[in-house]
This record gives sequence, structure tokens and C-alpha cells, in this order.
Amino acid sequence: MRRPIALVVMLLPATALALGPLAGPRAAGAAGILKLAQLSSDLQTLDPHFAATTPDRSVVDMVFNGLIRYKPGDGSVFEPDLATALPTARVADGKQVWTFQLRKGVMCHGSEGVPTYPLTSEDVVYSLQKASDKNRSAYAADYTGMTVDAPDAATVRVTLDHPLSSGLFYPKVANYSGGLIVCKKPAEKLGADGLKTHPAGTGPFMFKSYTPQERVVLVANPAYFRGKPQLDGVEIRYMPDLNSRELGLRNGQLDVINGTPDKAWVDGLKGVANVKVDVFGVGEVATLFFRTTTPPLDKPEVRKALAHALDRQEFLALIGQGIAEPVYSPVPAKFLPGGLGEKEVQARGLDYPHDLVRAKKLLADAGLPQGFSLEVVTSELPGYRVLYESLQAQLAKVGVKVAVKVVDHATMHSLIRKDANPLVIYIAWRPNADVYLTQFFHSDSIVVSGKKPNVNFAHYDRIDGLVERARAETDQAKQVQAWKDAQLKILEDMVAYPIQYQNQVYARSAAVDYGHELVSVLALYPGITEKTRLNR
Amino acid sequence: MLRYVASRILLAVPVFLGVATIVFLVVRVIPGDPAVAALGDYASKEAVEALRQRMGLDEPLLVQYTRFLAGLARGDLGRSMITGASVREQIAHALPYTLELTLGAVLVGALLGIPVGVYTAIRRNRLADYLGRVFSLAGLSVPAFYLGILLTLLVALRLGWLPAVGGGDAADAGDRLRHLVLPALTLGLVMTASVARLTRSAMLGVLRQDYVRTARAKGLAEGAVRLRHALGSALIPIVSITGLWAVSLIGDSVTVEVVFARPGLGKMMVGAILQRDYTALQSVMVVYTAFVVGINLVTDLAYAWVDPRVSRG
Repeated sequence: MRRPIALVVMLLPATALALGPLAGPRAAGAAGILKLAQLSSDLQTLDPHFAATTPDRSVVDMVFNGLIRYKPGDGSVFEPDLATALPTARVADGKQVWTFQLRKGVMCHGSEGVPTYPLTSEDVVYSLQKASDKNRSAYAADYTGMTVDAPDAATVRVTLDHPLSSGLFYPKVANYSGGLIVCKKPAEKLGADGLKTHPAGTGPFMFKSYTPQERVVLVANPAYFRGKPQLDGVEIRYMPDLNSRELGLRNGQLDVINGTPDKAWVDGLKGVANVKVDVFGVGEVATLFFRTTTPPLDKPEVRKALAHALDRQEFLALIGQGIAEPVYSPVPAKFLPGGLGEKEVQARGLDYPHDLVRAKKLLADAGLPQGFSLEVVTSELPGYRVLYESLQAQLAKVGVKVAVKVVDHATMHSLIRKDANPLVIYIAWRPNADVYLTQFFHSDSIVVSGKKPNVNFAHYDRIDGLVERARAETDQAKQVQAWKDAQLKILEDMVAYPIQYQNQVYARSAAVDYGHELVSVLALYPGITEKTRLNR
Repeated sequence: MLRYVASRILLAVPVFLGVATIVFLVVRVIPGDPAVAALGDYASKEAVEALRQRMGLDEPLLVQYTRFLAGLARGDLGRSMITGASVREQIAHALPYTLELTLGAVLVGALLGIPVGVYTAIRRNRLADYLGRVFSLAGLSVPAFYLGILLTLLVALRLGWLPAVGGGDAADAGDRLRHLVLPALTLGLVMTASVARLTRSAMLGVLRQDYVRTARAKGLAEGAVRLRHALGSALIPIVSITGLWAVSLIGDSVTVEVVFARPGLGKMMVGAILQRDYTALQSVMVVYTAFVVGINLVTDLAYAWVDPRVSRG
């Protein structure tokens, strides 16, 4: 009785191995469907005028167009999109007017109860008016003082109360945020709630289905005005766990995954056969803000002491060179006009080199030779937590004790907007210098007490004039100089210490060809267009 | 027996209501605003306020609670605060995946654990027994998520036998089964260790009983003695622990669903917490509560069936 049992037990593994796989893993992207896994548990909204997270922006980027677009793979270059050409401004009745001629043959995607139809100026006007409506758009503030009308079915005219440079106007009508064009008929049919989960635009991919907490499926738009996409479709999978995404890529179940800004992870994955890792911009800028209304941070010498106590190289080492790079101004010079480079700030002695002796002297001069204590909260996300922990360790060397409490990401955002932190590290990308400076440093944006509370954690109010002057400046060179002047003032007062920018990290199967070089993408993902293909 | 069944069912109702109330209150204590979570940090204050009104978050707590209970009574679990999708439909989609994972894990735990426990009891103090006890200890000590990753690295990546992530094609039973194997093994192996240990102890206790000696003395084959006479009695505590484990596995399924990126209630709950989706979160927790209460009820009834002395009080 015992021998047969023992025999079976011994032979079982050998039998299993001999029989081979129960079933091999399915090849990802069967029939040209690219599977992209994003770091998220679910979508929040696919209404492009509310989409703010990277996963949501990646979907709307594939479904919608703008009047103009950022060149795929290079966000520093504008190209025509739904419009036939990049417009130039003219003055009419004392106002600045930008006129767009629409391409012919652009078709709005069909959706429930609404068949596909040709895009006209009526759709563009509807969309831009929706983008400027604070009840129908999170980006309405960007469209204040703008009116849109349509002289005919193929022409759109945008009139500005206050003139803008092309550098500030183009992003408002580009394929990003409020500039993404929503087709009128499906939008009205679906309503606000329907649009959240059933986007309908003119892009290379059309919405097919959404399974909550799992995936959004897009199919190729055969009538796309730039040509039928080379992919049959795209499946965006919601997978919040990095290990799961990595295993899915390595197993062939996924084609592209959102990685993590960590050099060790990147180096590990580079050694895997048939897997490529892409590190590209735009870089999200990590900046440390000092709440200037709180003693002792209300003293400039204290803030400067803390700045000298910090070492950008030490912050950099947490992430890895190449994945992150140091920045010397709140606006990243690498990606946007108006930023300050290292040499520019060094020339003015505003780079605040790491110098513990100087830091301690400044603290002593301020009457704090023993240092002081602070309490802050941080997000549990590694990108934030490691920066706060490094800040804690670095400031301890000059006697400044920072107690760090870890909370979940949404809680951190909620608390810092209630002014909970005297020191705030914030990681963000904004499409131009005006938005960076307005949201983070204009007095209107002061958290809680500002006229339009936003993310001015420093409670700073000394560059309002410079920001407004830059915004009104139509000469690009003068505009850029005004932005630089504003940031020099920020650094002189040391209300914010720019730490680094963190690049985007994605990994893909070697079979994926995006169809463009990857330099910088505003939607914070590699960009999937009609030229993207799977080479199997 | 009928009286016993009725009393267990009646007791379940206040338990369910009490937990549902606690869930309702707890989700509203979590910091963070669902409207801000839904619209992002770019949204205007007006847009956030407008959404809060549409979500009903500006209403008094008592009004929200009354609406919540009334919805529960009607079977209306509301709509997601973030996407507007029907929560009942989301749960209907996710629930089968969680059920099949839990059932699969229970089957793994029972079908592996009981034979291992019986065999180690029979081979007491021999090599098989020592190996079995080491395996049990290891199984209880290793965290489920770690075990899951190890299994995936070996079986999915190295051997390429099974998929690493996902729940499979909803319409393809074979594909769902392939996607179920690793997660069910991960979740079930921990239970296996516990069941094996308990079965071994129970069997050892029963094998020493007089009636077992009597059965041998009557000339019955050893197999019949062990399986028909001993195992039946040893099953009583195993039934109890299987029920407890089923409840525990439902909770542990959260980790496994996230690690394997499987759809399910656990993944839905984690997502709802991160997005501050009150409606989805409280509905998922109510469903979990219903499961726990239901499984405990079934366990009590099964226990009474296996041991009729229980229902006679």
C-alpha cells in the first residue's frame, strides 16, 4: 500500500515537467493590440477638461486632438493638428485675434446613439467654451478673457481681451488639458457623467469599453485624418503594483509599463532580454517651499541657512543620475523657456552651495545656534517619502529636527492645502513658466487665505507684478527675461529651494516601436500615435 | 435543528447592521476630499464645491446615513463618486473573481492540507512526519504576497507555464482557470499548512481512542479504520477551522488581488480607499460583511450537521 503512494509522489514532479506547460502565457498585443499598464487603481475621468492624472491624460491623448499639438515625443515643438497651420496673431478692434482654418475630412468618433460625423468649427467652439466654463472644466481659469466664435464651418476665431505671446497662447489650444477638442454631439448626448467614462474625440484611437478597476479598451480609428493607425487598438490596464506590472511585462502579457524613477530598478530591467527601458522628459520638478509666515522660517537668514544645509547631490543619489537631474529654479530650464540654468544662478551667487559651516553660522546669526524643530507630513509614495527622509537627515546636521509623519497620498495633498506643513516638498509639472509662477508664487494662490487659493505654500507675495508683467508681454524675449527676474527674486528671498526634476520612466517590449524619438512628452507617457507599431 | 438555524439567522441581522453603520462612519473619518480626488489639484474651488453638492457631501451626516440605509434595503448600492458607474454592477463584475479565488484557495487548503495531515499522523515521528511539520511551519511563516511573487517568478517567468497577472478573459472559462491557479495556490498554501497541522493533531487524538482500537480488533483493514472511523471524527474541528479560514482568506484575497492584478472586491476596495470613493468603499465593505456573516452562519450550520449534539444545545 505504501509503495504505490510513494511512487506516485516521486513521479509527480517529473511527470509535470515532462508534460510541459499547462498553457504558455498569452502573447501580449495579439493581433496588434498594445497593452499598456499604468500606475493607478482605476481611471478618474476621461473628460479631457478634467483629466489630471497621468493614466487619464494618456488615454485622452490617444482619443482627442487639439487645434495644434506638441510634436510627438518632443514637447518643445508645436505643430498643426486639427488646424492646417500654426496661427499668428493680429489685432482687431483693439483686441488680439488668432484665426484657425480647420482641416477637411476630420471625423468625430461615433458613440452611443451618435454616428460618426465631420468635425466643424461648431464642435471646436463648443469645446473651447466648455473648457472655459468653471462648471464643466478644471482648467477654466486658463481661458479667462478669451472668446471663441466661428465665422464659417471651417474657421475658428479666438479673441483675447489681453494679448498673449505665442508661447503662452499656443499651450491653451494645444492637445493638452483644456485645448483637447471634444466633439459637441456625443458630449451633449452623453452628458457630464457619461463623458467621464465614454470619451469621444477625433484621435487615432476610439473608445470601445471600460471595465472598472481593470482596463479601458481603445480601437483604431480607420478614418483618422493622418492615416489608419498601425495598431489595431490599445488596452490601458490599471495596475497599481509595480511588481505586477514588471512581471506582466517580463511574462509577455504587457507591452508597455509605467516604471519607477529609481536607477536600481532601471538598471535591473535593462538586463532583461527583449525589454527596453525609456527615460525621458518632461521632468516633474521637486521644489521645497518654506512657509514664510511661520517663525523662524519668516527670517530670510534661517531659510538661507536651510538651503545651504541641503545638498542637491545627496537628493540626486536617492533616485539616480539620469533618472533625476538637479534644477536651480522653480521653472525647469531644460524643458521650458524662462527657467534658470546652473551657471545663471551661480553667477549671481544664488545657487546656495552645500555648506554646513555657513548654514550653522546663519542660524547662529538668527539667534538659533541650537537649531529648532518642525513637524511635516509626507505621502507614502516613494517619490515623496525619500525626499522628505533625506531632508530630515540633512537638516539634522545643523540641528534642525524635522519630524516626518507618513500618510497616504491623497491625505498629504489634502493636508498641505490646509497649510499643515511649514516645509512642503511638491513634485509637479506645469506647461509653461506663467502657470508655475502664478500657481506657486502669486499672492492670489496662497494656500487657504489667497483670493484663489492654489499651491503657494510659501505665502509669497513679492513677485505679483513681475508675473503679471510677464504674462502681458507679447515680446517673447522680454517675457522670458521677466520670468527669470521673478525667479531670481524668489531665490534671493529663498522662499523655495529647487531640488531636482524627475524624468519619466517607462519600460517596453522590444517589439514596441513608438514611431518617434522620446525627448519630452507633456502627457507624461511615451505617446502612442497612429505610427506606433508592434513588430512581431 | 430548525430552531437552531432560525436563531443563527436572526442573530446575523443586527451584526450586519452594526457593521454597516461602523463602515459608514469610518469611511467619512478618512482624511481627504472625494471631490478633490475626483477633479485633481488643478480644479477650481467652484468646481470642487459643485461636485461636492452633486455627491451629496454637503448634506448632514444623518441624511447621508438614512439614504445609505434606504439604499441598502432596496439593494441600491449607489454610483461611484469618481466615475459615476453603478457600484452594484462593479461589484457584480468583481465578486465572481473574489469568490472563485476564495473557493479555489479553500479547496487547495483542504484538499492538500487534510491528506498531508492524515499522512503525517499515520507516519508519526518518521521522515514524512518531520518533513510535513517543517512544511507546515514554513507555510504559516511566509507572507502570502511574498509566496505569490516567488511562485510567479518560478512558474510564470522561469517555466512559462502560467500567466503572471490578470484575471483572464471573462468569457473564457479555461483562461480564467489558468489565471486562477497561481493566486489560488498563493492564498491556499498558507491555509494548507494550518489545516495540515490541525488534521495531524486531530487524527493523533482520534487514533488513540478505544473505538478505533475496537475497530482494529474486529479485523477491519487499516485503511478503513483510518478513513472511515478515525477521519470522520477528526473532521469536526477541521470543519470549524475551514470556516474561519474562509473568512480570513476573503480578507487576505485583497493582497493577492493587488499582487496579481486580479479583478476582485479587494482590489476594488483598495482603489476606493485611494480615490476616496465613499459610495464604492462602503458598499464593498458591506458586501464583505455579508460574506463574513454568511460564512460564519454556514460554518455553524455545518458544524451542527457534523456533530448533531451542537444543535440539541
